[in-house]
Amino acid sequence: MNWKHGFIGAALLCALLPFALPQYMLTIVVEALIFGLLAMSLDLMVGYCRLYSFGHAAAYGLGAYACGMLLKHFALPLPIGILLAVAITVVIAIPIAWICTRSTGVSFAMLTLAFAQLGYAMLYRFKEITGGSDGIDGIPRPPGPFNIAWFESKLGYYYLVLFCLLGSYLLCRAIVRSPFGTVLAAIRENEVKARSLGYNTRRYKLATVVLAYGFGALAGALYAPFAGFASPELFFWLTSGRVLIMVVVGGAGTLVGPILGGGAFLILENELSQLTDSWPLIFGTIFIAFVMFAPQGIWGLITGRFGRSAIAASAARTEEAPDAAA
Amino acid sequence: MDFLGFAATQCLNALSQASVLFFIACGLTLIFGIMRVINFAHGVIFMLGAYVGYTASAVSGSFLLSLVVAPIVVGIVGMVFERVFLHRLYRRRDPGAYLMVTFGLAVVVSEAIRLIWGTQPLGTGIPDFLRGIVLVLGQPFPLYRLFLIALGISAAVAIWQFLDRTRAGLLIRAVSQNAEMVQALGTDIDLVRTGVFGFGCALAALGGALAAPLVTAFLGMGTTVVIDAFVVVIVGGMGSFLGSIIGSVLIAFVQVVGAYYFQELALAFMYLLMLAVLVVRPGGLLGKEE
Repeated sequence: MNWKHGFIGAALLCALLPFALPQYMLTIVVEALIFGLLAMSLDLMVGYCRLYSFGHAAAYGLGAYACGMLLKHFALPLPIGILLAVAITVVIAIPIAWICTRSTGVSFAMLTLAFAQLGYAMLYRFKEITGGSDGIDGIPRPPGPFNIAWFESKLGYYYLVLFCLLGSYLLCRAIVRSPFGTVLAAIRENEVKARSLGYNTRRYKLATVVLAYGFGALAGALYAPFAGFASPELFFWLTSGRVLIMVVVGGAGTLVGPILGGGAFLILENELSQLTDSWPLIFGTIFIAFVMFAPQGIWGLITGRFGRSAIAASAARTEEAPDAAA
Repeated sequence: MDFLGFAATQCLNALSQASVLFFIACGLTLIFGIMRVINFAHGVIFMLGAYVGYTASAVSGSFLLSLVVAPIVVGIVGMVFERVFLHRLYRRRDPGAYLMVTFGLAVVVSEAIRLIWGTQPLGTGIPDFLRGIVLVLGQPFPLYRLFLIALGISAAVAIWQFLDRTRAGLLIRAVSQNAEMVQALGTDIDLVRTGVFGFGCALAALGGALAAPLVTAFLGMGTTVVIDAFVVVIVGGMGSFLGSIIGSVLIAFVQVVGAYYFQELALAFMYLLMLAVLVVRPGGLLGKEE
């Protein structure tokens, strides 16, 4: 099966999904798609550069707050608000990425975490603008272009989110398969070697972080008008941790895996938290099990017969030849 | 108000906070030095120490006994975790895997605490013999905080002597410099790793049991403190013992001064300091750049 068939099939399935679901499920499905997009954006860093960001909540939160404020105070059309929010986040992300890519590994994780927490702290500092612990509420969801009452309805918004997700996926897929993406894979496998081949690896990593922030901001910008509010929670480090879990459980370095992981995580959480109090206990255990026994994630398990996900294969190679590891 | 007395009590306040931070950060940095593992669960381990300490002192009626029981129990939990999970990941050489498996542990343990002890905050209460108030330059200061400072300083000295003077300390320093060489020379480094992980967890648990009378044990006490401890370790330098002392004192002072003079910026202050340090010295004040 060609990937194009798979993609078109999945897109059609998603397009028809709302008609098979009860109305109340639509809200959670939209959120699942948004989280899938967020997880996929983080996968650019984790799966293709081995840059473990513990602060991806910053991208999500920035996108959500920027979009929320733009829509609320300037009454912009929705698509323009979303695109502007992404642009703003990308501009903010450049200096952040510049500082964070100075280090790798654990320090990188901690630096990204620090920036996200700094953003969290700033929300409280500039209460007048950000609403402090209340966040921003009453974010409008303006109708679509030409005054068609399109995005106002849940169904219309579902298609907007689906369109963004599929478009982003195609874009990311093209990125990781381009010559640029090949260099990223080289960095993931052995950065020293990539550098000695003459690549300025830091510039590549910087670009990846900025890209990941951009797509993460798109997820945030889609979330704010849908939920109608943006709260400091979006910036909190637990959000970052959750997204990272989704990437790993879904399958890092596959793009599709994190989308599935993000969606499945959110829907499972929604269903199970109604059944049992101890949902965190269950998902913590599942998560540990995946890290220990199936680092290739859900998507890697599914496609296991045909091929291994890149990062799992790389982990396996490292195990086989420990000396090659940097 | 008498400024000198005020300044003195504020300094002591910061030092007592530094003691608690040190107990967490020291274990964190030792564990990192030995196995390059960032233990995300360290804050939850600290919280577990506070809860176990609460139960121990409630059952036995002795606060001092709880300071012994909590580290032992939690240290054993840590060693079991290291043996069962982390141990299998060393071969993968992927720092992300450690980060994530300990994040999973943090989620599971904090949920387990909620199931065992419930959601109510539990106050240990300061034991009678430490309850008094001392006058420092004419200003009242709680005796318990002085006790914390004394304990923090003596622990720091004891650990420093242990690392510097004993054979086990020598081994720990050697493993953190070059684990493969130590193994080639015939030392069971798995034992060292398990031991250090358990020791680090025990220290955090002691910190938790000590902090419990001040803040009462509550769910979520681990999450704020682990971020503080990360900042301490990063500012001081990953894997550096002396760095964890300097970092604890520095961060505690920033927190106390920030909370008093710049209330709105207090949270941001710490992160700004960390960013400033990292931009100038990516490896932290006393750390090596990797």
